Amino acid sequence: MKKLSIFTALLAAGLVSVSAEAANLVLYTSQPNEDAQATVDSFMAANPDVNVDWVRDGTPKIMAKLQAEIEAGNPVADVLLIADTVTLERLKDAGKLLAYRSPEAANYDANLYDADGYYYSTKLITTGIMYNTSASMKPASWEDLAKPEAKGLVAMPSPLTSGAALIHAQTLAAVDGLGWDYFKALAANGATAAGGNGAVLKSVASGEKAYGMVVDYMPIREKAKGAPVEFVFPQEGVSAVTEPVGILASTDNAEAAKKFVDYVLSEKGQEGFLKLGYIPARNGMKLPEGFPARDSIKVLPIKADEALKNTDQDLKTFSGIYGSN
Amino acid sequence: MQGYVRAGSSQPAWLFPFIILVVLILSVLPLARLAAAGIAALANGGVSAVLADPALWSATYYTIVTAMLGTVISLVIGCAFAFVLALTDIRGKGQLSFLFVLPMMIPPQVTALAWVQMSGPSSPLLKALQIAPPLGSPQPLYSVGGIALLYGVQHAPLVYLALRAGLMALPGEGVEAARLSGASSFRVFHDIVLPMSLPGVIAGAALSFVSCTGNFGIPAILGIPSSIYTLPTLIFSKFSAFTSRTFGEVALLSAIIAIISVTGLAIQNRALRGRDYRLLGFSGARATFQLGGWKYLFAPLLWLILFFMLAAPFFALLAGALVPAYGVPLTFKTISLNAFHEILFHQAVTRTAFVNSLSLAAGTATCLVLVTVLAAYALTRRRDAISRAVSSLIEIPYSLPGIVIGVCFILVFASPLPVLNVTLYGTIWIILIAYLSSFFAVSLKPLVSAFHQLDPALEEAARLSGAGFLRRLRDIIVPLIAPAAGASVIVVFLIACNELTISALLWSAGTQTLGVAIYNLDDSGSSDLASALSVLIVLMVIALMLLLELMAKRLPKGVVPWRS
Repeated sequence: MKKLSIFTALLAAGLVSVSAEAANLVLYTSQPNEDAQATVDSFMAANPDVNVDWVRDGTPKIMAKLQAEIEAGNPVADVLLIADTVTLERLKDAGKLLAYRSPEAANYDANLYDADGYYYSTKLITTGIMYNTSASMKPASWEDLAKPEAKGLVAMPSPLTSGAALIHAQTLAAVDGLGWDYFKALAANGATAAGGNGAVLKSVASGEKAYGMVVDYMPIREKAKGAPVEFVFPQEGVSAVTEPVGILASTDNAEAAKKFVDYVLSEKGQEGFLKLGYIPARNGMKLPEGFPARDSIKVLPIKADEALKNTDQDLKTFSGIYGSN
Repeated sequence: MQGYVRAGSSQPAWLFPFIILVVLILSVLPLARLAAAGIAALANGGVSAVLADPALWSATYYTIVTAMLGTVISLVIGCAFAFVLALTDIRGKGQLSFLFVLPMMIPPQVTALAWVQMSGPSSPLLKALQIAPPLGSPQPLYSVGGIALLYGVQHAPLVYLALRAGLMALPGEGVEAARLSGASSFRVFHDIVLPMSLPGVIAGAALSFVSCTGNFGIPAILGIPSSIYTLPTLIFSKFSAFTSRTFGEVALLSAIIAIISVTGLAIQNRALRGRDYRLLGFSGARATFQLGGWKYLFAPLLWLILFFMLAAPFFALLAGALVPAYGVPLTFKTISLNAFHEILFHQAVTRTAFVNSLSLAAGTATCLVLVTVLAAYALTRRRDAISRAVSSLIEIPYSLPGIVIGVCFILVFASPLPVLNVTLYGTIWIILIAYLSSFFAVSLKPLVSAFHQLDPALEEAARLSGAGFLRRLRDIIVPLIAPAAGASVIVVFLIACNELTISALLWSAGTQTLGVAIYNLDDSGSSDLASALSVLIVLMVIALMLLLELMAKRLPKGVVPWRS
């Protein structure tokens, strides 16, 4: 019996020895893990005095986490780097963000950042169509996904999981000739909506599905690694999110947070995104490999204020069509 | 009889109040806090909206159906292994038992991923055998049957451990007597072993059913793609669309899960009533059946089941970790160690998650067993309405999906603690407390069934000879229930190691658990990294179990649950 209690005492001691390292800066991001780690590593290399802890999840989940923390009066995050400006606009309206005028803003189009400096777009992430190379049809337009050839073979991310997917649904819903009817037609054609973009990438790459609505960089990057997938920018145009960065008003580390914002907007930070396969938001940057010329990509417009106002209703509409709640 | 709770009971007066206090902190407080939040949120109407939602009723239906089917499957597999390994002279018992407990450590979402990879159009296994289904074939596991099957696989070891603890304590004398009177093996099994092991079977079934209703990892991966929502996944999706009404809706949904679980447990209590076999425990003097020619049927069958539960999913995972990109066939040309390289040398989260999960699991299992030994003693010796109520209160947190427990504890510990003025939220301690709450029932189960089989006469004799409570605890109770206590520690450790749903909501920067890390990697599309990390976890678990195996000689008999 004695031996056992020594053993358990050792285990218990192991628990006590876990020290919660005090991080200088906490980043909440919706970037995939590898990308988030690369971003943080390069920032820390440039700013050795700042130590970053980061947390990754889909934008709606990160927001739910943040909201629960705010409700609790103890938000942990200092900086957000998440999918879309609509979400940050909502936080700004609620007075949760800190205004910061970054000197780097001079190199960005005025419509890519908030005039008061509450948030700044960091890249352009479009949502188009990916397909498995062994699929029978080469889709060229959104409409193609509603054709009989694609019956039961289409996957899309759920707006409940992905911020980009919500903006995507809201963007297409506002397009003449598509609208919510298009999503109904897809549902009638056996399309499924679940999980985030990563899930769509997986099910198309693995051949469970043949076609998917997905963010551009994932399939383009995977194709370069040898995955049997292709990405197309549909002729009607693509929806886009801009992965903005913003500082929370509740931060205790405003200085470090501002350094982070400056870094991701700087040429060096933007080059890091480019290397990872994203379209940088900064003026005068190249495009990553595998992308067509930037002016050939037609980005569909979205009215941010309307999108913000209708978010709950749109989520309900979407859930109503796809039977997820 | 001063100092005792009541005449005829030999418990010290502090014991039961102490247990009640623990239960108040771990069960009542968080649930009350959630109820308050729910009532506050619903005060402005909204109950009818939730109740009128067809999604709620379909989720309730799917939860019950999958849990029932899953329980049946886990009972069939778990009982088969328990009876054959505990009572017969089959070869390779040690290996079989060791391997059968192993699947429990594979986190449910990884099990689901591995099975999907095993059976889908891109299955490396099926591709190698040239029988992979064509592009766009529906994945057969995305169905009620698929969810139930994996529930069964996931929870069979729980049934096995619960039943085995009972079978270990089965005295050989009854069987010997029947044999000497000329009863056949079948007759002995049917008339003696089966009735005596029923409490263990029923306890295992209840444990499995409750685990199924609260499982999140499996229905999240298998159900959501085909729009089959169970209550836990429905709650999770409600959280992903956080509105001011979310807490209210979640409180209602949680209430429904609680009702289902408590109903299941009430049925268990009914079934156990009047089946209180007090056995004089000569633990280990167990009955043995000669298999004879039957071994040619049993041995291959058990190994085949193990192959599908363990080997095939593991190789599917390994294949998933070694491909350069998802969907690329695995050949000697394409094989790549990139994922392992990234996980081991680049991702800061790997080390963090390993340290966090191991410490949390060890801390949870240790703290709980200290309390549950006392709690099981108190609850089995007192048979009144209060102790039944306390038992139910202990069960509820385990029967709720982790996500609900997570919310409860956020609400309780979000603001700084009174007096101490420390905020637990965002630290590892809040996860530890939530684990203590959630796994209390798991830790208690094997101990309760052990106490049920303990003859009180031994302890009474000691008491009459003037031994105090602590003395009786040390000399009589603890040695007799050591095997069950050991099983309890191991089971809690393993479950806590792979926990996902509670930590999914409570983790913060620096307190990620392994479950969170895997789920997150997979969720962000890096399934190669998720697979690589899962492979490392499985290897780590095997190493831990081997370590225990090596230590087994030095530990009290029966502490290592898979060893005879």
